[in-house]
Amino acid sequence: MKVPRWKKAEFEEIEYQPTSIRELLKEMKNICELIVDLAYSAILFNSQEIAEEVRYLEVRMDKLNYQIRIMAMLAARNIEDAEKMAGILQIAQAAEKISNAAGDIVKILSYKLTHPILPRLIKESDEIIRKMTVSHESKAIGKKIGELRISSETGVRILAIRRGSKWIYGPKGEVELKEGDILICVGPEEGMEELNKLLKGEVEVLE
Amino acid sequence: MSEQEAQELLLELKEKAELMVDLAYSSVIYNNKEIAKEVYELEDYVDNLNEELQKLAIKDAKAGELEVNEAIAIIQLGACSEAIADAARDIADVELRDVELHPIIRESILESDEVLIKVEVSPNSVLKDKKLGDVKLASHTGMWVIAIKRGKKWIYGADRNTIIKAGDILFVRGPREGVEHFIALARGEEKEI
Repeated sequence: MKVPRWKKAEFEEIEYQPTSIRELLKEMKNICELIVDLAYSAILFNSQEIAEEVRYLEVRMDKLNYQIRIMAMLAARNIEDAEKMAGILQIAQAAEKISNAAGDIVKILSYKLTHPILPRLIKESDEIIRKMTVSHESKAIGKKIGELRISSETGVRILAIRRGSKWIYGPKGEVELKEGDILICVGPEEGMEELNKLLKGEVEVLE
Repeated sequence: MSEQEAQELLLELKEKAELMVDLAYSSVIYNNKEIAKEVYELEDYVDNLNEELQKLAIKDAKAGELEVNEAIAIIQLGACSEAIADAARDIADVELRDVELHPIIRESILESDEVLIKVEVSPNSVLKDKKLGDVKLASHTGMWVIAIKRGKKWIYGADRNTIIKAGDILFVRGPREGVEHFIALARGEEKEI
């Protein structure tokens, strides 16, 4: 049986890597932004694969939090330093708490519910989660996400892209869209419609 | 049907918890104790909501309106939102302490993918006197208004019916690419939403 990525990550030895506290905190905040929405998507689409990624990110977050603690201890030279570092560690700890909550959300997948409880919940929310496919007629094919200005023109964030059997989670601006890509997105309903039109080839650009 | 009631509570919990995280980070970036205190108050509110949800789920399960598994799932989702709300309070707590914040905290938040900004609405802004729902800020700019400071008053979790006024200070969350356009709109330098 294939060992899931999160399990592999969990048993990896942690090596001390000199990096900046700032970079660590930044990555932790970025994971925070992604992981909760991903967890809800996993439930909504009943997807074990997305759930796996949530678990992986949860493990990753644990490690970042561990690293940041070591870095903070190395950085404190006096009481004032230590007091300021305590604040940093508390914020890092909060980020970890959020990722743990996301990990708990995906546990619901194993409950074998007869009728799903989430769809309505997410449909009525200000930000909805949807799955969309890039059609062969779309002008978005071959374009970078950043170039298409998806988030600023529609308010939609792409949580994950499924390309064939591969997944890209939390894609950055430089990722190019390809025909047949399945996008898992979160955002306002209207922006979602706008993006869907682009992906279907009904409009050429987002305005 | 009370299943609907449970769903509504759950939705409210989820949205409030997420709003709290945004507010908590904002309070830290802008060194704003008022926002941090609001996070504390929202935490109490979320606690109560969660308690209500738990009672309702159990009551429904007992009455046979919800299956046991469904009731557990609802309770678990509520607990997750509550945990997120707690985490937000922990962030706000750092702001409320009498220790100067380490500049790294602010820098790292400002450099992350989703940013939080603060901008004042100018009298010649196109946003002036418009309802949030009518200008459709979120779907046109990607930016969500999380709090408004109007004179001494604060409006948290503004909705579609909230009207933007000149002089309002908007606290907004969104993608880095949307920031410039949004600031120009609020300042009246850009007329097209």
